[in-house]
Amino acid sequence: MKTRMLIFFICCAFIINAQTQKKVHPNLNGITCKTCHSCDIPTKENPCVIPCPREKMVSIDQSPEEGPLVLTIDKFKKQTDIYAPVIFSHRLHAEMSGMSGGCKMCHHYNPPGQVIGCSDCHELIRKRTDVSKPDLKGAYHRQCMECHRTWSGKVECESCHTINGKKQETDSKTLIAKSEKRIHPKIIAPTILKFNTPKATGKVVTFYHSQHVDLFGLECQSCHTNESCVKCHAKDKTALLKAKTTEQKHAVCSSCHNTKQNCSSCHFNSVQEGFNHAVKTGFDISKFHGKISCSTCHTEKGKFTGLNSECINCHGKWTQENFQHKVTGVILDETHQALECTDCHQEKNYSKPICSSCHEDKSFPKNVPGKLIKKNG
Amino acid sequence: MVNQSRRDFLKTAALAGTAVTGLSSKTKAAPKNILSEDRMGVLVDTTVCIGCRKCEWACKTAHNLETPSIEVYDDRSVFQTMRRPNSKSLTVVNEYKNSVEEKFPINVKVQCMHCDHPACVSACIVGAFSKEENGSVIWDTDKCIGCRYCMVACPFQVPAFEFESALKPDIKKCDFCFERTKEGKLPACTEICPVEAVTYGQREDLVKAAHQKIKNYPDRYINRVFGEYEVGGTSWIYLASKEFEKLDFPKLGKDPAPGVSEAIQHGIFAYFVPPVALYALLGGVMWINKNKKKSENEEI
Repeated sequence: MKTRMLIFFICCAFIINAQTQKKVHPNLNGITCKTCHSCDIPTKENPCVIPCPREKMVSIDQSPEEGPLVLTIDKFKKQTDIYAPVIFSHRLHAEMSGMSGGCKMCHHYNPPGQVIGCSDCHELIRKRTDVSKPDLKGAYHRQCMECHRTWSGKVECESCHTINGKKQETDSKTLIAKSEKRIHPKIIAPTILKFNTPKATGKVVTFYHSQHVDLFGLECQSCHTNESCVKCHAKDKTALLKAKTTEQKHAVCSSCHNTKQNCSSCHFNSVQEGFNHAVKTGFDISKFHGKISCSTCHTEKGKFTGLNSECINCHGKWTQENFQHKVTGVILDETHQALECTDCHQEKNYSKPICSSCHEDKSFPKNVPGKLIKKNG
Repeated sequence: MVNQSRRDFLKTAALAGTAVTGLSSKTKAAPKNILSEDRMGVLVDTTVCIGCRKCEWACKTAHNLETPSIEVYDDRSVFQTMRRPNSKSLTVVNEYKNSVEEKFPINVKVQCMHCDHPACVSACIVGAFSKEENGSVIWDTDKCIGCRYCMVACPFQVPAFEFESALKPDIKKCDFCFERTKEGKLPACTEICPVEAVTYGQREDLVKAAHQKIKNYPDRYINRVFGEYEVGGTSWIYLASKEFEKLDFPKLGKDPAPGVSEAIQHGIFAYFVPPVALYALLGGVMWINKNKKKSENEEI
């Protein structure tokens, strides 16, 4: 009896724990509790959070509109009298970060749930015992300077700070109002790009940008690394246009594609159709496999060839338990439910069934072994 | 009684002398120079430093040295020449080219490293220098006789001399803001640094943090913490993205710097060799002279 009670309580504890976990962290995308917590059951009193910087970066994503518009950073009012508080156009910066990683560019190690501010982790007082992460002042400046230095190469404080007592052209109120109006136009990803290359045969490379994002699941910064503001806003664009070597030109592609061989897989003489699994491989994935990412089946990294297209290769043997026949659009009647899959589907890809082994006069789709329904999605 | 007279110095010297001869095999350093386990230090991350030179301004202000206003330090043209700390600037920041990312040059702050086994303490013949419990290496201006042995002994060539002051020249170097830290304040440079490229803390924690940084960002840092072992360890330790020797850090071994100078000094002065040798020499001269006179007399 005692052991039963104990098991019951443990089960209860786990259920409650699982529920609170969902409440605190609604979407745990591929991370486990152990990524951030050192103990088995973290509580509010003892969250046992592993100190930053943790080995795995965890963050969240929000649209810029969800965050604050303008922030006045006046946390150091008591500590320094040299500079006035900084007016930070948060929305504008969130919009700008769109292509370089979004929120996580600044809100690194942010637990799933809500976005937390810098001061929740970085200490306000510089004299402290935990020296593993910078204090708040250091953290702010490190984030800002990383990008701002690429603009001018200079570090003048007065580009963000106003010196106390020095006469200013605009007061803080008008500065806030001005910052509120500043927005960065939405970054629109192109669908298709056509590159004219100097190659004699295979002049044209057709690049389906949208497919790389939607179908292959690449994030902006997986290709657009070190994307700085200057790339679009440079006053002097000549540096960007300077001649690149063949290797530099292929650098972005070669992180996934082998650009040293098989030129003809990308270089054609005319604009090409986008990637179509059915056309390219003979295996139509649009029916059942359209929504899963490439890597679910093509598990070997960077290798997308040579998969056996027989169902059994990934799914094992189909049985009543692991296969719901209604996904095909046909609910089997009781007689047919009792049969083995292979009794009707003799082909290895389980395509069209054969009725003639039992019924001489019947055939699919003229006759249906059950009820025909409309397929979901 | 701050000012120590010559007589006082001789008294303490005599006392110390008797103490040393009495306990020569047991104590080698004055009690002040014990290395504390909780000693403080600073971790300088040269990959974080942006070369704003605010530390230079804060240092001068904290030490009552002449300085222009803070905005003047935005001028980056000073980086065209390599600078060294001197009697008027106890810390300086230099700039080096970054071959990987041209837009982010490497800035290196230079000041006294506050060695764990300081050569200056060992070389100082009047015992003006000391390694304090909090890690700082400081000196007593009133004891200093201006021999400048510390300048020669320092493996980092840090102590500077006020050559321009004819009447009362003084040794000048970073004192780890000894007076400020005594009051519970941070060293001036570590307080002002906008990016916290200089982190003040217990040396032990800083060494750990430095190695954690290298582990977390192996592409950002080379796998070496300068000052962890160099010349027996220093209170100020450095992280960098490329070899320290390319950033004008001296090439140093792991043995404490005083090891060399002390071996020579102690070797010469062991068992009262110099006075004995001197008197032996004088005696020898006398004896020769006496003999000479004798033979001269005999000749006459």
